[in-house]
Amino acid sequence: MAWIHGWLGLLAGWILFAMFLTGTASYFRPEITQWMQPEQPANRVSAAAAAQAAVRYLSRVGVGDEQWYIYLPDDRSAVTRVFAIPGAKAMPAKRPRAPELELDPRGGEPIHARETRGGEHFYRFHFQLQLPHPWGRWLAGLCAMFMLGAIVSGVVTHKRIFADFFTLRWNKGQRSWLDAHNVSAVLALPYHAVITYTGLMTLVLMYMPWPIGANYKQPADFGKEAYGYVFDDKASGRAMPLVAVAPLITDAERRLGQHAQRVVIRFPGDAAATVAVASGGASSLNARGGTVTYSGVTGRVTAADTGAGPALSTAGVMLGLHTAQFAAPALRWLLFALGLTGAAMVGTGLLLWTSARRRPNAAPFFGLRLVERLNIAAIAALPIGMASYLLANRLIPAAAAGRADAEVATMFYTWGGAALLQLARPAKRAWCELFGLGALLFGAIPFVNAVTTDRGFFTSLRAGDGLFVGFDVAMLAIAALLAAAAWSAGRERQGKTRRKVRELAHV
Amino acid sequence: MLMQRGQMPRRRVLIRPAALAMLARCTTALLGGYAATAALVSLVSRLLPLSRAEATAWGMITSFLVYAVIGLWCFHEPKLVRVVALVWSVAALAGGAVWLIGARA
Repeated sequence: MAWIHGWLGLLAGWILFAMFLTGTASYFRPEITQWMQPEQPANRVSAAAAAQAAVRYLSRVGVGDEQWYIYLPDDRSAVTRVFAIPGAKAMPAKRPRAPELELDPRGGEPIHARETRGGEHFYRFHFQLQLPHPWGRWLAGLCAMFMLGAIVSGVVTHKRIFADFFTLRWNKGQRSWLDAHNVSAVLALPYHAVITYTGLMTLVLMYMPWPIGANYKQPADFGKEAYGYVFDDKASGRAMPLVAVAPLITDAERRLGQHAQRVVIRFPGDAAATVAVASGGASSLNARGGTVTYSGVTGRVTAADTGAGPALSTAGVMLGLHTAQFAAPALRWLLFALGLTGAAMVGTGLLLWTSARRRPNAAPFFGLRLVERLNIAAIAALPIGMASYLLANRLIPAAAAGRADAEVATMFYTWGGAALLQLARPAKRAWCELFGLGALLFGAIPFVNAVTTDRGFFTSLRAGDGLFVGFDVAMLAIAALLAAAAWSAGRERQGKTRRKVRELAHV
Repeated sequence: MLMQRGQMPRRRVLIRPAALAMLARCTTALLGGYAATAALVSLVSRLLPLSRAEATAWGMITSFLVYAVIGLWCFHEPKLVRVVALVWSVAALAGGAVWLIGARA
């Protein structure tokens, strides 16, 4: 059981590290998006008014559409996001996903903010890995499964789990890496186990759909029964004006006892139109929320799904625990810190693999050198890419065409470039220099922001703009963390490998 | 045990028997484990005396734990024959049972 822990961790470790780091950043997905669109309006209106304004706009531009999705603004996102599925007549053979639009919640007009993927990019990357669908999701699922196996086998092999909880011996070479791996793993073990399992659950319909087939002749019926998805109804073809949406939102919020997060309007302007108002995970641990469906003509309730059985509620809570939309700012920061311990656990485990196999006075064998270089590419070079993504957002002109893709490309080219350039340096120097470069880039973000926007640190502080102030402080904190890593990687360390450590590290 | 390198004399064999055994073990753990898991949780969720949506959800929720346990057991059990035989036959038997019973009305 011990060696399988090592191999599971090694094979999935590099991808898991990237998934942990970008996933941890995704706790602040809406905030990152807001920061990356400094032009976003800072106004707040009620969900009902925002929905009505969005419908006003969509009714003008989207006549004959089959379906409108409206994501309402809340405390963390100041814009209404909408996207429309065009009607059958306008639809080409293969339906492309219409581009998502951002609307001003007050007037309902599209806002003119710089084009960017924002926090959505980190979020998507952490389970799609920038690979074509569905391979990225399968690879992420495989790595998550390896992680689950590594957690279970790690606990099984770990006889001294309680004693190791209190053990951290600094500056003892390999011994310290083992302790650091144990402390970061054991301290946050409940978090690691939960985040891994709930992460697998977010895509369970793709990874493990077989129980549906065992119970349903028509698999679509499961979605209908469990989540109230309806996609097989038909438009009547008779035109009827859409009912006023704002009162429906208010009514649905009263029935659900939660804030409305999403409005789905099917066949707008048709006699068979429906308006489904859903709550989500923002105000409850259960990400599933409830849905109230209204007739789009009369405004009467046609279906209400306000609760589910124990299993579906459990699944909903698992989803909620993973996305953590329920978390208030303090808890969100705690989860962010725990996510970093996850990255630290994976990272120290990878370092342990190399340091436990290095023999003094012997040339490292090929596998050791390969793993070490891949460690540097994954652990030290990824922060450089992430910082470059944020810097590119400020440095690429706001009106440039195709700038959103250019930002994403910047992240991968700098990450890949750093991963290649380090090969020209001795491993020890490469660790130190890449961490140092990462620290410089993160440290530069607040200054570049102050120069390129009118929302610099002191301006934001005077304006009481918590998000922009917090962002700058967080960037400097990350820069300090990376600088500390660079400093510690650059120090001379005694390289004694004791027999006992090798045994404990499962070599 | 995989790291004991250097001692073994190099022979001109395409794949060593030990590597072949490890390949069979990994395949059984990864693919056989998945198949056995899918068949088992499908069977249980088909037989659970609950509403079909609930029963389906319980099957899906428990699936990853079942998969992890089966997968790790494949590396824990020393006898490869036992691993391959048990995992694949569980997959075939449970899968066959699901197929015979058929979906709920």
